[in-house]
Amino acid sequence: MLIKKITIHNFGKIHNRTFDLSEGINVLYGENESGKTTVHTFIKGMLYGIPRQRGRAAANDIYRTYEPWENPGEYGGTIWFEAGGMSYRLTRNFSRERRFGELLCEDTGALVDPDEGALDEILGNVSEAVYDNTVSVGQMKSVTGQNLVRELQNYMAGYEGSADSTIDIERASQMLKMTRKGYQVQENRRKKALEAEQIRIRSGIGYLEEEEKKLQKREKAIRHRMKEMSPAGEGENAFDVKMQKMQQNAQTYLLLSVIAAVLPVIAAIVLKQPAFKVCSAAAAVLILVFGVFKRNSALREIDRIGEYKAKWEERYAKMSWDLEHTKQALAEKRSAIENMQEELDEGEDALYQESSEQREIKALSLALETITALSGNINARIGMHLRTRTSRILSGITGGKYSVVLMDENLKMAVNTEERVVPLERLSRGTLEQIYFALRMAAGELFCGDTPFPVILDDVFGSYDEDRLQALLRWLHNEDRQVMISTCSGREAELLRGDGIPFNEILL
Amino acid sequence: MKFIHLADVHLGAVPDRGTAWSGSREEEIWTTFRRIIAGIRENPVDLLFISGDLFHRRPLRKELREVNSLFAAIPETNVYIIAGNHDHLDAGSAYRSFKWAENVVFFDSEEVMCIDDDRMPVTVYGFSLCENEIREPLLRDVCPEEGDGYHILLAHGGDEKHVPIDFTALASAGFDYVALGHIHKPQVIVKDRIIYPGSPEPLDRNETGPHGYVEGFTDDDGIIHTRFVPAAARTYEDITLELDEETTQNDLEDTLSDMIAESGLQNIYRVVLTGQRSPDLMLLPEKLKNCGNIVDIRDESRLMYDLEMLEKKYAGTLVGDYIRYFSLKDTTEVEEKALDYGLQALLETSMR
Repeated sequence: MLIKKITIHNFGKIHNRTFDLSEGINVLYGENESGKTTVHTFIKGMLYGIPRQRGRAAANDIYRTYEPWENPGEYGGTIWFEAGGMSYRLTRNFSRERRFGELLCEDTGALVDPDEGALDEILGNVSEAVYDNTVSVGQMKSVTGQNLVRELQNYMAGYEGSADSTIDIERASQMLKMTRKGYQVQENRRKKALEAEQIRIRSGIGYLEEEEKKLQKREKAIRHRMKEMSPAGEGENAFDVKMQKMQQNAQTYLLLSVIAAVLPVIAAIVLKQPAFKVCSAAAAVLILVFGVFKRNSALREIDRIGEYKAKWEERYAKMSWDLEHTKQALAEKRSAIENMQEELDEGEDALYQESSEQREIKALSLALETITALSGNINARIGMHLRTRTSRILSGITGGKYSVVLMDENLKMAVNTEERVVPLERLSRGTLEQIYFALRMAAGELFCGDTPFPVILDDVFGSYDEDRLQALLRWLHNEDRQVMISTCSGREAELLRGDGIPFNEILL
Repeated sequence: MKFIHLADVHLGAVPDRGTAWSGSREEEIWTTFRRIIAGIRENPVDLLFISGDLFHRRPLRKELREVNSLFAAIPETNVYIIAGNHDHLDAGSAYRSFKWAENVVFFDSEEVMCIDDDRMPVTVYGFSLCENEIREPLLRDVCPEEGDGYHILLAHGGDEKHVPIDFTALASAGFDYVALGHIHKPQVIVKDRIIYPGSPEPLDRNETGPHGYVEGFTDDDGIIHTRFVPAAARTYEDITLELDEETTQNDLEDTLSDMIAESGLQNIYRVVLTGQRSPDLMLLPEKLKNCGNIVDIRDESRLMYDLEMLEKKYAGTLVGDYIRYFSLKDTTEVEEKALDYGLQALLETSMR
C-alpha cells in the first residue's frame, strides 16, 4: 500500500492542508505541537473510521479530541492511495451530523461505501489493532531504564502471546484469577454453612439413634422380664390351674378325712369296751380335725395364690403398658430419624446444586483457559518467526553488533553479542530503542502479510545517537517500503542528505 | 354449606435454609395455620378439607396432638384429612394409631373411601398416599356413588411421580367439588370445581405470588362457588433491574431498596440483573443482598461491548480471536459470561 496524497479539511488543529507523499522515505518536519500526530491520527481515521464511544468514555475519545472548533460540520478530508495495483480516493466526513464516506476506485470508476467491507478487503483485512501494532510506531512511553526494560518485555510478550503488543496476558489473567478468588471465597462460605448444617443434622441423627438403641434395650428387657414372670410359658392361667387344683385338694382332704373317719366311728359303735370306744371316737375326731385342717390350709393357700395373682396381674399389666409405650416411642424415634435422613438428603442435593458463585467461577475459568489456549495458538504461529525476524532486523540496524534475541521460559529477553549473552537490564536506552524498533518492524512484516503497509515513525528517534540513526535510516532505505518519519529535529533530513538517500520533505 | 379447602401446609418445613429469615419462616408456617383455624373458630364453616401434606415430613405424635387440639377447638367444623407424599402413611406412621378428635376424619387407606358427613348432606371421598412416589393413576376409575347431596373428593398428587391425574376425565367423573393438593402455587383446573389452593405460605423461592387457601359456599340454588383467600405472611417476588451504561452500584442499591420498600419489606425477593452495563461498573451483586430479604441474585447483564465492532477492530490479534471463538457457536450463559470476563480483563489491562 502506498499513500500518495492527503488533504485535510478540518481535523484537530489542521485546516485545509494538502500533503503529497512519495515512495520510500518521507520526513514530516514540524515543531512540537504543530500537528504531526494529528496527521497520523487522520490517516488512521480515514482508513478505520472514528467511532464515537458510548457513555462516559465519550468525553475524551478520539472523536472529541480532534473535533474541529470551527466548522465542526466539515470534520474530515480526503486521502489518495494505491493498493493491489489500483488507485483509490477515499473521502470522509467524521462529523456526527454529516457523517459521510466515499471510496472511489480511480481505475474502474467504481464508487462504494468504504464501511461496507470494500475498504477492509483493499487493506488486506489488516484490522485496526494490527495497524496500531505494526504500521504506526510511537516512542516508548517509559523513561527510566527499569521501566523501559519492562515495557519492552511486555511488548514482546504481547506480540508473542496475542499478536498485540498492548495486551498483557499476565495481568489480564491475574485480574481474572482475582475475581475468581473472590467468588471462590463466597462459594466456600456458602458450602461451609451448608456442611455445618449437615453436620448438625448428622449429629441429631446420631443422638436419635442412641435414644433408639436405649429404647430397643428397654423393650428387650421388658419382654425378658415378662417372659420370666410366667414360668414355662404358662402365663396367667398357671395361677388358675394351681388354684383349681388346690380347690380340688381341699375337697379331697375333707372327703378323705370323712371317709377315713367312718372306720373309727363304726369301730366306736361296734366295740363294747368303753376304752376302745373312746379311742375310736378320738381317732375319728382326730382324722376329721386333720382333714378340716388340711382343707383349711389348702383354702388359705388358694387365697394366697389369689392375692399373688392379683399382684402379678397388676405388674403384668404395667409391663404390657410399658412395652406398648416403648414400642410407640420406638416408632416415633424411627420416624424422626427417617425425617432427618430426608433432610440430610435434601441438604446433600443443595450442596451439589450449581450456585450462582459456581457459575461465575466456571465462566472465569473458561475465560482463563480460552485465553491461554488461543494465546498458545498465536505463539505457535508467530513466536519463532517473530524472534528470528527481530534478530535479523536488529543485526541489520546495529551493523551486526547485536544479533540474536533470546527468550527464556519466563519470557525474559536478552541479546547476543559476538562474545556473550547480555540481559536487557545491562543495555543502554539507545540499544533498547533499537530492539523495540526491530520488534515493531518484525511484527509489521509478520502481521500484515501480503499487504506491505507504510511505516509511520512518530518521533521515535529522540534518544538515538548519530551512528544509530544513520544505520537505521540506511536500513530503512534498503527496505523498499513507504516510510513516514515525523520529527521536530533536522537530524534525519541532514543524515539522509549526507548519505545521498532520496526522500520527500514535508513541512508542517 | 360453607367449607374451607387447605392443602400443602407443610408444617415443619424450613424454607431458605441458611438465610437470616429461615427460622421465622419455619415459625410463620405454623402461625398462619393456627391463624386460619382461629379464623374458623370465629366464623365457623361446616367442613374443612386438608388435601395432603399437612406436614412437611411424616408427623410425630406430638405434632399430631398439636394440630388435633386445634381441630378440637372448632367442634362445629368437620375436618377431613388425607396424607400426601411428604407426610405419607408408611407402616410406622403416627397417623395410623392416632386417636383424633370427634370432628376429625382421617382417611387412612390408599383405597378411596367414602364417608357421609354426619351433619351436612355431603359425601366425602378420600384416600391417602402410602408412599412418597406413586406412578399409578389411582384416580382413574373413581366416581361418586349414587345418592343425593354433594359429592366431594379429596386427592393429593397430579404429576408424573405422584398419582398422575387425567383432569379431563376427572372433570367428567361427576364430583361436585374436587379438593386437590400437591401443587404449591394456587391453580384452578376447573372453575369452582377442581382446584389446587396452593400452600398457605410459600415454601421456596420458586413459589412466587400470592398464597392462601380456598373458601367454598353454596348459593341459594345450591351451586358451589369458591374464592381464593390470601393468607401468607409474606410472598416471594421477582425483581428485574435493567442496567444501562450509566448505572452505578449506588443506583442499583437505591432502586432496589425503593422497589422493596414499595412492594413490601417483609417479602422475599429474587433479583435478576439484565441489560448492558458499563465496563467501568464494579458490580458487586453480593452487596445488593443488604437491600432486603434477597434470596437469590442472578446476573444476566452483559458488558456494553459492541462485539461485532471489536471483533473487526482486533481481527488477527488475541482479542479478535477471543471474540471469534465465542461468536462461532451458540453460547451458553456461562460462555457468554466467560466472553465478557475475558474481554474485559484483556481490554482493561491493555496499555492502549
